[in-house]
Amino acid sequence: MGLYIYNQKNFVHIDQQRIRPKNLTMNLVENLAYACLGTQIKKGLGDVFAFRWISANLSHEEFSYIQIESFSNRIAGILKNLGVNKGDRISIFLPRSPELIYSFFAILKNEAVACVLFSTFGDSALFDRLNDNESTIVITKKSLSKKITKIKGDLKNLRSILVIDIDEHLDGFTFSLPKLLSDSSVDFKYEPLIEPDSPAFIQYTSGSTGKPKGAVHVHGAISSIENSFLEVFQIKKDEIYWCTADPAWITGLVYGIMAPMATQTQQIQFVGNFNAEHWLKCLQDEKVNVWYTAPTALRMLMQEEDVLFSRHDFSTLKRIYSVGEPLNPEVYRWAKRIFNCEVFDNFFQSETGSIMISNRPGIPVKPGSMGEPLKSIEAEILDDEMNPVEQGLQGNLCFKKGWPSMFSTYLNKPELYADKFSGNYYKTGDLAVKDNDGYFWYVSRADDVINTAGHLVGPFEVESSLLEIEEINDVAVIGAPDTILHEKIVAYLCLKNSVEWSRELELKCRIKISNDISTTAIPQEYKIVKTIPKNRSGKILRRVLRAWYEGKDPGDLSTMEEQ
Amino acid sequence: MISEQLTKVFREVFRDDSITLNDQTTADQVEGWDSMSHINLIIAIEIAFGIEFTNEEIRSFNNVGEMQQCINEKI
Repeated sequence: MGLYIYNQKNFVHIDQQRIRPKNLTMNLVENLAYACLGTQIKKGLGDVFAFRWISANLSHEEFSYIQIESFSNRIAGILKNLGVNKGDRISIFLPRSPELIYSFFAILKNEAVACVLFSTFGDSALFDRLNDNESTIVITKKSLSKKITKIKGDLKNLRSILVIDIDEHLDGFTFSLPKLLSDSSVDFKYEPLIEPDSPAFIQYTSGSTGKPKGAVHVHGAISSIENSFLEVFQIKKDEIYWCTADPAWITGLVYGIMAPMATQTQQIQFVGNFNAEHWLKCLQDEKVNVWYTAPTALRMLMQEEDVLFSRHDFSTLKRIYSVGEPLNPEVYRWAKRIFNCEVFDNFFQSETGSIMISNRPGIPVKPGSMGEPLKSIEAEILDDEMNPVEQGLQGNLCFKKGWPSMFSTYLNKPELYADKFSGNYYKTGDLAVKDNDGYFWYVSRADDVINTAGHLVGPFEVESSLLEIEEINDVAVIGAPDTILHEKIVAYLCLKNSVEWSRELELKCRIKISNDISTTAIPQEYKIVKTIPKNRSGKILRRVLRAWYEGKDPGDLSTMEEQ
Repeated sequence: MISEQLTKVFREVFRDDSITLNDQTTADQVEGWDSMSHINLIIAIEIAFGIEFTNEEIRSFNNVGEMQQCINEKI
């Protein structure tokens, strides 16, 4: 037996068992850890598998709710013994792994604040985030711990690191997590209910200028996380779900861990890097029914020969979802043909905490569109004075504020948080169009942030790193259209006198960015110029660079500094 | 000889002096070896060995052994 909820244009079947009883005690919500683990165990589902772990060599291991509860309890106890208090920030610097998931819930059980960081982060990117969030503890692995050791002297709050794959403690700073686990208790008492505005996790995102910003999310986000998942994905009992996003990305954390666990959705987690054959084998062998991935991944798969797909059986696959960048109609049609099922693109941001606009079952898909706002979301296209623009015209994509998973602040940057709001509206920083049928169409960022393969990269971070190369005198980066990545990073470089551009220097730039920031921030193209166009106050005129790149007229240059 | 030089290239590209390679080493076993850093690696190998890979070759390597064999054929 189930019930039906009205979903804009049709009724959607929702399995009653999967809806958590709502609350409970006035003004309190379930701790996110309790919503994902405790409620399932209380319902007698402790032995059900929460995720099936697929390793890089495609071997399997299933993890039940009770296993995740036990391990996260043990780590929660270890953290408490190490002096972790409510509100302390703990970072997880690990690739996708069971330990990442246990640690995430362990932090929440302590009412501390979790920050999952991409394991591909280079030294500068790592330092900026650990310094900003003032982490007292970092949970990591041996091969990554070297990066932390290098910068620990400048991180005044960092007390210790827990390393998941060493057998012995190294000193009073570097502890072996396995050794601590061997002497830990599976019992950990914590309050299942918590104030909805209690911080739970931090998600870093890049801006046009300055350092990355930590969007703080609260335990009260759980209702948005659950309801958006149910409304958009409409997964039935016994269907298998696969979200390919890294947990350091908001999609991977919210829809790869929390939402499926809070709704008892059985899912797989694949640990390996992108590999077309492995991914297709996962879809086939794991009998995936609902697959959440990214347009870049679909575009990379599109490069493969059709024969690779015909060798696999995708008959169990019923729906594909994508997020991160716009899904081009061409890619949409290709994926629909190859996988023989509907493809639903959707939109959200690190700041929104959950899906805001989506294509979904019950609403006809318009290829290239983001779809319609979720039923609890009010989306508008507004001009720069916050007045509605005519339907069909481009404007700023804004959401009426107040949805439960809306970020509560940017850590240490309240003024930037305030800038994101005007009146009752949150400004996404994206330009979009709303058509006469109420569908939203993404146009571009309204600022200089580059969306490459679904990752937002701030030009400032890349420019700062490149400027440290001794051969480079000045630099500016822009985003340019790319058939695979949506946008690629293009670097304009002024070299010092007598320096010649070479492959060796390109390699130096690429390795510097990889190791300082991340491989996703590597410029894919380098242009050597005599000067970087700037206005009289020294601000880089990126519109001029974009025009140069596209071979267009750069327009009014009256504000440009004379060189 | 090739394997020593290749190890040196890997260590420079991934800034990790502890990297050790064998024929079966794959991208999943080297921290940071993803599709983006693969291009760094290819450029570094081409410079170090004075060779050029074709696009098909770049996409075809399943492990270090296959990469090394391809280098062997080109030098």
